[in-house]
Amino acid sequence: MDQIKEYFSLAVRNIRTRSLRSWLTVLGIIIGVFLIVSLLSLSEGLKTTINKQLQALGGEMVMVMPGGEADLMTSMMFGGSKLQREDIEAIQDAPGVDTVSVMSYTGITVRYENESKQVAISGLGPWKESVDLFSNFYGWQLKEGRWPSKGNHIVVGSYAASDLFSKEIKTGSEITVKGKKLVVSGILNSVGNQQDDSMIYMDMDTYQDITGEQKGTAAYAMVKLEEGAIENVVAAEIEDALDETRKRRSGTDDQDFSVITSEKMGEIAGTILGIIQMVIIGFASIAILVGGIGITNSMFTSVRERTREIGIMKAIGATNSAILSIFLIEAGIIGILGGLGGTILGTGLAKLVDTIGKMNPSFYLTTTVAPWMIIFALVFSFVIGCLAGYFPAKQAAKLKPVEALRRYE
Amino acid sequence: MSAPIIKLENVWKTYQLGKTEVNALKGLSLEIPEGAFVAIMGSSGSGKSTLLNMVGCLDSPTKGKVFLKDIDISSMPESQLSQFRGKVLGFVFQEFNLFPNLNAQQNVMLPMVFQGTPMEERKKRAEELLDMVGLKDRIAHQPSELSGGERQRVALARAFANDPEVIIADEPTGNLDSITGEKIMAFLTKLHEEEGKTLVVVTHDAKIAAYAERIVYIKDGQIVDTIY
Repeated sequence: MDQIKEYFSLAVRNIRTRSLRSWLTVLGIIIGVFLIVSLLSLSEGLKTTINKQLQALGGEMVMVMPGGEADLMTSMMFGGSKLQREDIEAIQDAPGVDTVSVMSYTGITVRYENESKQVAISGLGPWKESVDLFSNFYGWQLKEGRWPSKGNHIVVGSYAASDLFSKEIKTGSEITVKGKKLVVSGILNSVGNQQDDSMIYMDMDTYQDITGEQKGTAAYAMVKLEEGAIENVVAAEIEDALDETRKRRSGTDDQDFSVITSEKMGEIAGTILGIIQMVIIGFASIAILVGGIGITNSMFTSVRERTREIGIMKAIGATNSAILSIFLIEAGIIGILGGLGGTILGTGLAKLVDTIGKMNPSFYLTTTVAPWMIIFALVFSFVIGCLAGYFPAKQAAKLKPVEALRRYE
Repeated sequence: MSAPIIKLENVWKTYQLGKTEVNALKGLSLEIPEGAFVAIMGSSGSGKSTLLNMVGCLDSPTKGKVFLKDIDISSMPESQLSQFRGKVLGFVFQEFNLFPNLNAQQNVMLPMVFQGTPMEERKKRAEELLDMVGLKDRIAHQPSELSGGERQRVALARAFANDPEVIIADEPTGNLDSITGEKIMAFLTKLHEEEGKTLVVVTHDAKIAAYAERIVYIKDGQIVDTIY
């Protein structure tokens, strides 16, 4: 133990002797660990946010989307086939279903105060039930104005109102979509998601008049369950009902729709986030690996420079394992210093992003620094340091004293 | 005469220089008795450095055997040999070979670290040794803050750290002016006489060799003469 302490102080001295090179090597590791900690904390924050939103949705809602589960992401992004009128009726008739709201959305050119912008608009129907559902499960609240009472009345998401056009949209303003004048009756509070806050919402009829979407169809259906109904049971009932209507219509029972419970949504989001995290860890590991090669390089140079010292140490009684220990400790210290630095910087950035996110609701990013990340980063950088230092240290240890002394003579 | 502490038996050392083989030592045999003061003399290229490496167990012979305290060093694994060498032999080099990032006391303490001597003992012994070589007030100085003679005295103190039986000195005065060199030789002689240490000095300087009780002349890898 006493000897290890002594080797430790020798290693520290060696690092200090070539301080600039040591710090540059440490910097390589810092960057890698910084990447790992900051990116992981972002993705962890994303996970927390999504879970919170899913929890807010509560357990009593089921979503029906077109497209099979396998290509769910594709149909969510690009829109798949539509739910037909009879599909929606079938859902309505399924046991355990209280109300069905439908929703469609698309991007369209909107004119406001002589300015045209591409904006996402969304139709909801039936309007009143949809507003109830969105208020209950999604946290919709009016920031100003009133809920629409006429067909040409619309509500505008908070971000759409404040940031989309150079002039802020106010209650009572008029916007024009495809020649049709719409009156803004209310502005929504932020729901904590920029995409939804950027939308303009209107009655399904108005939406379909404007966009030319076939009446009675919709992209999604959101199902509110009857009191006491069990989510998974109702989901299965809806699936069966939809299978029937599809079979009648097209003669196949290929599922081209998905019935998604909030539980399943959580699973899907979890899988996607899991992949994202793996990719992040992968990239950041490469960064640390590069840092590790930096350590190896620096250590090899150091072994070459100190060949003579190693020879003297051996001549005065240092064993192979003593030399190995000194060099390994040196590499380990460089690794762990880099790990510490990277963790501090990464945590700092994460906290900064978090603070900005809290102060500015439209910049919706939260970060979570979990203890496992810090432990992972420190252990990983220490192990990389030792591994990177192993070969140079081995080379130093097996130098014969006479060869080491003869060099540079 | 007492039993040899170091014995070389028909030692050959062959270096491969490109395609040609160079025999630095050619079947050399030498016995160094315990308590002796031996000088090894020869011009450069005579093989005296190679011989010193053999005597100091820093290298292994191509052919033949080297015994340190009657133990065949080729039978010892490297790590055991390092420990043994660190305990029995003390080295003084021409270039002092101090560690530039350690101060005088830490330099002297280092061989004791490798022998596992406890911290307190190491400190005390290093202080005593530096006092002995007259550097008591230089204990905390870095080598760069010391003169050549002072550095060699630190190196001397270091060589004595583990209280070795044999001191091996390679041109110990080679980098010093003659007055400082004489002082160093006087130290070595005194330690040999008072503590009975075995002393092996390699030199090409006849004045230095004159301190020894026995001078071994070496040429072309062989002993050509021994003067008692």
